[in-house]
Amino acid sequence: MLNELVYNFAVWLDDTPWSTLLHESYYMYNWVESTHVLTLMVSLGMLFIIDLRMLGYALPEVPASKIAERLNVPMLVGFSAMFITGILLFYAVPVRSSQSVWFRIKMVLLVVCAVNAFLFHKRLNESVSTWDTEARAPGRIRMGAALSLGFWSIVVMCGRFIAYDWFDCQYDQSALVEFLAGCVDGQVRF
Amino acid sequence: MPTSILGPYTRTIIVGAVIATTLIFAFTNARVEVWFDIQPLFEWMETTWFGVIGKTWGAAFAFVEAIHLLGLAMLGGSVLVGEGRVLGLIFTDIPARTIIDRTHRVFVWALITLLATGIFMACGVAMKIYYLPVYWYKMLALAAGILFHFFIRKPLLVRDLEAINPWLLKAVAISSVMVWFTVAATGRWIGFSG
Repeated sequence: MLNELVYNFAVWLDDTPWSTLLHESYYMYNWVESTHVLTLMVSLGMLFIIDLRMLGYALPEVPASKIAERLNVPMLVGFSAMFITGILLFYAVPVRSSQSVWFRIKMVLLVVCAVNAFLFHKRLNESVSTWDTEARAPGRIRMGAALSLGFWSIVVMCGRFIAYDWFDCQYDQSALVEFLAGCVDGQVRF
Repeated sequence: MPTSILGPYTRTIIVGAVIATTLIFAFTNARVEVWFDIQPLFEWMETTWFGVIGKTWGAAFAFVEAIHLLGLAMLGGSVLVGEGRVLGLIFTDIPARTIIDRTHRVFVWALITLLATGIFMACGVAMKIYYLPVYWYKMLALAAGILFHFFIRKPLLVRDLEAINPWLLKAVAISSVMVWFTVAATGRWIGFSG
């Protein structure tokens, strides 16, 4: 039921002229995708520096609160650009994207990353005054940073794997893959 | 130590000349002869273990691609934070030496990751990239970036920033950001070509 709803919505998006235009435009689509990937250098670049600082591997002489505070803005600018270009990429290829196992895992992990980021910043703000200048953050903060690095690494991997058609609904798949991908019986659009 | 006729900028001028010569070579017919000569190297790359694994197991190739992207993100972070400090945009209350030295370490690890995964990926699609102009543009940008970073930017920034002409600092920082984003952009464009 839910899968059919998602499929029908994706087909409706796919039928809109702008979706076709974006998908068929060689340069526009590639520029959007390139921007999506290049903003990794801003968003994840800043995030990795923050996480590595908490773990004691980057800029240990700089107070942790300053790292988190100063790099937050460029990181959020990068994530905003990634979010917008990500929506455009989904809009350009809605049916295949919505039925990609990797895309679905990525979306779940993005929510997990957001929750982890919220908890990480909450714990950081609560305790940072007691360890701000120490090279390594306390265990709980380090755990949050390590989880952030791990989750985002898997998000990037899933994003990269979306390009591959191993588990696409148009091919014969196992019941598990069909379930995870949300393949719909008798679907004609892929 | 003998005094160079080029003054304190000897190394910078030599590296600049090397980059300029390489670019002239790359955009003239002289490159065609070399291009033919190195074809066996690319054919051999496909027969190496990396090449065989990359061509046989798509998942392995995709996994290494993802690691390559993570390295790119880390490189981007180190470049933007380091150059942001040089430009006086962030961490102005932290000594520039601290930020520059520490981000350089992250940069080196990111570059090692990029080179290692990049070599693996190149082996897997060696003959494809051999014929792609954008791949050679990326290699040019990468070579320029590495030469620029280690032989121009790093020796220059060893000095006290206060003693360096602010416009030179700005030019170096902006050039650094531009060259590494060019490397990333041309790399992404390889995926759209061929």
